[in-house]
Amino acid sequence: MQITFKVYRKDPEGNGKPGRSEYTVDLSDDATVMDGLLKIRDELDGTLAFRASCLRGYCGECTMRISGKSTFACTAKVSAFTKKGPEIALDPIRNIPVIKDLVFDWDAFLWNKIKAVKPWLEPREGPANEEHRLPDAVMKDLRQVMSCYYCGLCDEGCTVLPVDFDFLGPAALTKAYRVAFDPRDRDGKERLRIAEQPKGVWDCVHCFEASEHCPRGIAPTERIVALRDKAFQMGISHEKVARHHQSFAASVKESGWVDEGRLAVESEGLTNIKGLMKLLPTAAKALVRGKAPLPYVHSKRPGADRIKKIFEKGERERK
Amino acid sequence: MKYAFYPGCVSRGGCPELYPSAVKVAQKLEVELEELKDVGCTGAGVLPQYLSDPINARTFAKAEGLGLPIMTICSTCQGVMAQANYRLKSDPAYREKINREYLAEEGLEYRGTTEVKHLLWILFEDYGLDRLKSLIRRPLKGLKVSPFYGCFLRRPPEAITPTKELSRRKNYLDELIEILGADLVDISGKGKCCGFPILTASEENSLAMVAKHTGESKEKGADCMVTPCPLCHLNLDGNQPRAQAVRGEKIDLPIIHLPQFVGLALGFDPEEMQLKRHIVSTRVVESRVEMLA
Repeated sequence: MQITFKVYRKDPEGNGKPGRSEYTVDLSDDATVMDGLLKIRDELDGTLAFRASCLRGYCGECTMRISGKSTFACTAKVSAFTKKGPEIALDPIRNIPVIKDLVFDWDAFLWNKIKAVKPWLEPREGPANEEHRLPDAVMKDLRQVMSCYYCGLCDEGCTVLPVDFDFLGPAALTKAYRVAFDPRDRDGKERLRIAEQPKGVWDCVHCFEASEHCPRGIAPTERIVALRDKAFQMGISHEKVARHHQSFAASVKESGWVDEGRLAVESEGLTNIKGLMKLLPTAAKALVRGKAPLPYVHSKRPGADRIKKIFEKGERERK
Repeated sequence: MKYAFYPGCVSRGGCPELYPSAVKVAQKLEVELEELKDVGCTGAGVLPQYLSDPINARTFAKAEGLGLPIMTICSTCQGVMAQANYRLKSDPAYREKINREYLAEEGLEYRGTTEVKHLLWILFEDYGLDRLKSLIRRPLKGLKVSPFYGCFLRRPPEAITPTKELSRRKNYLDELIEILGADLVDISGKGKCCGFPILTASEENSLAMVAKHTGESKEKGADCMVTPCPLCHLNLDGNQPRAQAVRGEKIDLPIIHLPQFVGLALGFDPEEMQLKRHIVSTRVVESRVEMLA
């Protein structure tokens, strides 16, 4: 079948302005997108740049957007993308600077961020003269995380990276999990401290895009949530977030539901005059619109005492 | 048709216009609601699971006792409860533990049979589109509307879109906009996060997300955006004035709650749907609707 590929082009040595090239090639019915790309490069245009390695879905090198869907060119069948016509658009994945054509900048997007979480174990003292063994359940969990082959799809789906490229992103934070949750590491706390810095776990919106995008079922979103929980447990967390969580929990514990007025004020901090002043314009508008009627009252829900008991029991057992 | 109604904190707190408009719409649709009054907050993804799962199990047990499925009007309540319910249903030992340790004392037990559904899902899956169409009194012709789902009405898949058929849930709002006669203005971020969860930790990024979504919708010519999530509403509407500063230009895009949107098509006036309570003026929507009346 004749397929026309419309491929994103960016030449760093030319005028640098991105454009699009069209190539029509003849492919077999069961061809993959990678088959098409290799044919274009071999027969039509040797200057077209893209990454390829294993050609069988093992390595995560050839991540790209195929007619809008982010996936691997080597496992994507051409026929799955030509139902509406024999044309396929190829673009680099989003949120990541492009070096040339379909080749994006691994350093900027991933390796520098992974380096930032100190992705190596600092072994704690183990048993003398033998391996440091771990229970199977622990290894099973870590093995799943270790199956990450850095394809970039989780970062590509991330909601935060398009507005803040400095955010560490799900791939690097998942690497932080891998080290922080390994009992052989002597300083998991250090890893948590790095992950909870600005641009770390607290900047994640836990929207589950990363988990949905991950082709290995590693669930990066859940890993980030676990890092947060552990940071809380160990008493290291973003100051304002800690106030917010404490206020949220306190109002549910006391009344059964969230007191949003109290939450807004306590999250800023009662002595943070500048922060509190910032709330005023919205608060004033809310009053005018009848969103927050005066006098402001937050009453207890009927089942509040039962909710409080759940809190007390849960907190007791957690200790 | 009858549901155990779980209105959520925000529909009576930061978005007090949501609760009455949802109740009015349910009445018009002849959907009977029995409000769950003595239940707790879902935890909203803020409370850790060891606290929120027992609280939600208690809510499910109450609905189970009434023999009713739960109706939510908040993507976040829906998502958090659906995830808790998934854990409780798929792991009987875990459910038993929570029953034993937290619910038994009150004489409650969750057997794992309660369904939790957002109003948006109910319209498509239980109510039926033909019945809904037959009740439209004011097709919203010419009103240009962008959808905004809220993360938890689309993900995570095991709890939200567990089957191929239910993956259609990811498109319900798009479909509904057209069913009610309005024009769909698609935006790239409709299934992304509104930024609300990081308002505390990273206000700058949160506001940038508001600016990105509302700005794109405005650029594409939308009159308003509709959302089934009051937390998205708090950020997209309540913080839009501050997000405009990030963008450096006016956006002024009204954000409409799902029940308000349905209500307008069913013939309610903007005043009855309490549009005036929003932070961003809804004048554009009101005047369009008045022209249609």
